[in-house]
Order: sequence, then C-alpha cells, then structure tokens
Amino acid sequence: MNNADRILRAYAKFSGAKLAVKSIDWTWRTITASVPQLHYEGSTVTEPAQILNFLRKQRFNADYELTAKQGADTMAYIALLEEKLRPALLHTFWVDAENYVNLTRPWFTSHSPFPLNFFVPGRQASLALSRILLTKAESPLLNITEVEGKIYSEAKECLNLLSHRLGNFHFFFGDTPTSLDAFVFGHIAPLIKAPLPSGQLQKHLNQLDNLCQFCNTILKNYFTDASAEKRMDCSLTAPHDPVDANLQKLTQLVNKESNLIEKMDDNLRSSPQHRHETKPSARASERNSPLLSKH
Amino acid sequence: MSLAAEAFVSQIAAAEPWPENATLYQPLKEDQILLSDSASSLAVQTFLRMCGLPVLVSCRANAEYMSPSGKVPFIQVGNQVVSELGPIVQFTKAKGHSLSDGLDDVQRAEMKAYMELVNNMLLTAELYIQWCDDYTATEISRPRYSSPYSWPLNHILAYQKQWEVRRKMNVIGWSGKSLEQVYEDVSQCCQALSQRLGTQPYFFNKQPTELDALVFGHLFTILTTQLTNDELAEKVKSYTNLLSFCHRIEHTYFKDRGRINAA
Repeated sequence: MNNADRILRAYAKFSGAKLAVKSIDWTWRTITASVPQLHYEGSTVTEPAQILNFLRKQRFNADYELTAKQGADTMAYIALLEEKLRPALLHTFWVDAENYVNLTRPWFTSHSPFPLNFFVPGRQASLALSRILLTKAESPLLNITEVEGKIYSEAKECLNLLSHRLGNFHFFFGDTPTSLDAFVFGHIAPLIKAPLPSGQLQKHLNQLDNLCQFCNTILKNYFTDASAEKRMDCSLTAPHDPVDANLQKLTQLVNKESNLIEKMDDNLRSSPQHRHETKPSARASERNSPLLSKH
Repeated sequence: MSLAAEAFVSQIAAAEPWPENATLYQPLKEDQILLSDSASSLAVQTFLRMCGLPVLVSCRANAEYMSPSGKVPFIQVGNQVVSELGPIVQFTKAKGHSLSDGLDDVQRAEMKAYMELVNNMLLTAELYIQWCDDYTATEISRPRYSSPYSWPLNHILAYQKQWEVRRKMNVIGWSGKSLEQVYEDVSQCCQALSQRLGTQPYFFNKQPTELDALVFGHLFTILTTQLTNDELAEKVKSYTNLLSFCHRIEHTYFKDRGRINAA
C-alpha cells in the first residue's frame, strides 16, 4: 500500500464518494500501469492529484467550502509535503536497511502473488533510492549517508511547520476535513502506525502531539468500520511474527474493499442516473452515517 | 553541506559584516544563460536588493562548475561561497539581515510552503520546457548552453545536461506529461499565487520577504524571455495582480539600472 492509496481513500471518505476501491491484484499492474487507478464508466484516471480533480468534477468535493486563498494554501502545503517529507518517508520505508528488511519487504512479499514477491519490493526500493539521489543529492552530497542527514532534517522541519499550521484545530481548515487533510493523513499515518525498528522520524513525529491527535481522530472517525469488519479476516491473514495489530490494521485497509466490491459495483455501473446523486446509497447504512453526510 | 559544516559556516558568517565586494556569479547573460538559471539568479539578486546588501554581478561561462553545489547562482562573500536561494537566505540571516523576522510561526510555515510550490511547479516546468520539449531543446537550450565551448565539447556537455534533466523528470513523474499539461500546471500555480497575493502589495503584510523575491524572479523572467512560443508568458499575463506585482518590484528595487535586461 502506498501513499497515494491512503490519500485517496481518506479523501473519498471525507467527501462521501462511493468509492469501490478495488484491491485488485495490483502488484501485477504496478509493472505495467500505475497504481492507484480510478475506473469510472470505462475511463481511467491515474495519479492522486488528477483523481482528486476528477472526484471534484463529479461533485464529490470536500474542498467546497474553502475560500480561494485556502485553496491556494492547499496547493502550497501539498508541494511542501511532496518536496520535504516524501523523500524522508521513502527513505524510512524503502532505503533504510533495518526497516526494509524487517518490515517493508516481508509485508509486501506476503501480499504479492508468486512470482512477483521476489522482485517487486526490490524494484520499489531501487526506485525510491534513485528518486532520493536524483532530487536531493547534489554534488558534493553524492553519498546516500550524507543525503540522509539533509533529508531527515528537512522532514523534521516540515513536520514542525505542519504542526504549527495545525495548531489546536481538528483539521487544517476549520472543523471539516479537506483534501489537504487527506494528503497529510496519507503521509503521516504509516509513520505513526507502522512499527519501525529504526524510526528517528517516527520519534520526532510522536513528540508532535497535535499531529498524532489529528491522525488518530481521522482513523477513529473514518476508518474504524474497516477494522471492525476485518477482524473476521484476522484469522485468515494470521502473520507469524507478532508484527502487530497496527500492521494488520493497515493490511486490512488494503484488503477490505475486495469484499465490498460486489456491493459497490452496482452503484457506479448499473444506473447512469446515480452518477450525479450525492445522497448516500443503501451502502451507507452499513457504515457510520456521519461519514457520508458531508458532500 | 553536512549539518555540522553548515553550523560551522554560519558561525563564521556571523563574525564578519557584509563586505562591499560580494559577488554573484551566473552564466553569460547574452549567450549562455537559460530560463531557469536566469530566474534563480534574478530571485537572488532581488532578495539581496531587498535586504539592502550590495552585490556585483559577474558572468562566467563556467559558473555552474564553480558553484559548490553545481547550481547557479552562487555568491562569494569574503572567503565563503554559498549557492542557491535557500542557503543564501540562511547565510544572510546569520549575518544579521533577514526579511522574514516579523512573521509568526504559521506565516513562516506558509511562506516556506509557497516557496516549495514555486520550486516544485514553476522551476520544474521551466526545466521541462527547456530540456524535455524537443523543439525548444534543439532550437534554444542546447545551442545556448554549450555556446562558450568548441566542438565536440559543446555537443557532449549539452547532451549530458539534457540527459541529466530528463532522468530527474522521469524520477519525479513529469516525463509522462505533455506540454499542455505542463502549461496547465503553471497556470494553476499562478492562480494559487494570485489568490494568495490578492490585492496586497506583497505576499505578507506590507514588507517583502524571500517569497516575493522568488516569485518575482521566476515570473519576470518568464514574461521577458523569448522562447519558441509565447504560451508560458500568456499564462502568467492572464493574472493581472501578478503583473502589477512584478512591475511594482521592478520599479522599487531595480529603477537605478533601468529595465533589467534578461537574456
């Protein structure tokens, strides 16, 4: 599961979009196509930003009540996240040897079908490394260890800035979540929840109470039904190493939609007039109703 | 620079005042400099003028190689060399000159976010247009970039630079974009900047900050540089408050040199 998945899922929850997030056997797709993809009546949209635009056009808009200036701020903060925080996240999960070997790779290999589990994680890791080196390592910082210092200090500064901006509010713009909240959540949620063997960035983040609170609030309000449903599947996945209730919760988030696809598909495919409907469908009754009341 | 070296340099920097003969190095203005470098250089010059610090501009063909980080522009102050706007801002702060002291934490966070937006969108778009668009690369970028060198070095250096930029675009996901999409991104970025600026004279209160310098550097260069077509300049021109922002800064800080002669 990657950042983009989380961001989109969070945004979909905030805006009440009836999103059948299909947990397809996506690892095959990552070789040829890019994930995540949104399929809607035959057309395909990729890339988180474009999917967000698409959702907005379809009137699932969590940013509806933002002023123009706040919309501009959203773009700026997203750029800040991408530039400062993302390299450090990539490093923490994919390049840092301890984390990669003990956490990321086992997680991915256990969720990829044979024979992909042999080379997909390795490919992701090398992609992450090359991204970091090409964008951050200018001469004379050609060595990854020197770049590390720089990217972690930038990431910590970025987290501090986000914390200052969030202040004591529940969400970044008032009391309702917006796309910026989805983006921030998508980036920091794994950092808070994943049990990293060596996580200096995680330690730093844990000191920023308001960001942890923010993340937990979103998880509690928008994602609890998922974990409740998935407890049934718990016995099936049954990891052997006690890597966790937390990691399982993330695992379940990935797997959950595959069970709900059949129910969801009808809404998007069968009746065209449902296209512009924004009121919750029967599906809503299965989830907590406050979730879908925001349109 | 590693963190320890940075701290060390800051300490040394704080010890001496700003000298009269500080110099800014950039590639040759008439023949060599490209859009993105020109924008960065103008941003640094504007920032230093806003701080009231004198700096001489010196054009060298090998400025890129002289720079400690490989990027232009860089300034030489006393016996220290600092490149790129970010480190230069920190350096001048260590010397006691700062434009953003009056901002509180939230505003400083916003300022940094907007600076990243400009770097992420505008600068990347400029690089894309220069090096990934075949027509521009062939007609303008490669000939200009390698103009001080003779054959075969000019070909080698130009293609090397192009290859390097394309690799970077690939890694950050821009290589799949078409030119129209890049123009669209520039437009959105300008829209965000325009909305943030509103009717204020500068982005924060009535005082200019490094964000104003950066935005001015990029927008002014885009408006005044001749590319293969005018679409980029048109995108910027459609936002009138950004246009008047550029005029205002040009009149306030550059009036003694007449109109800035951008390449």
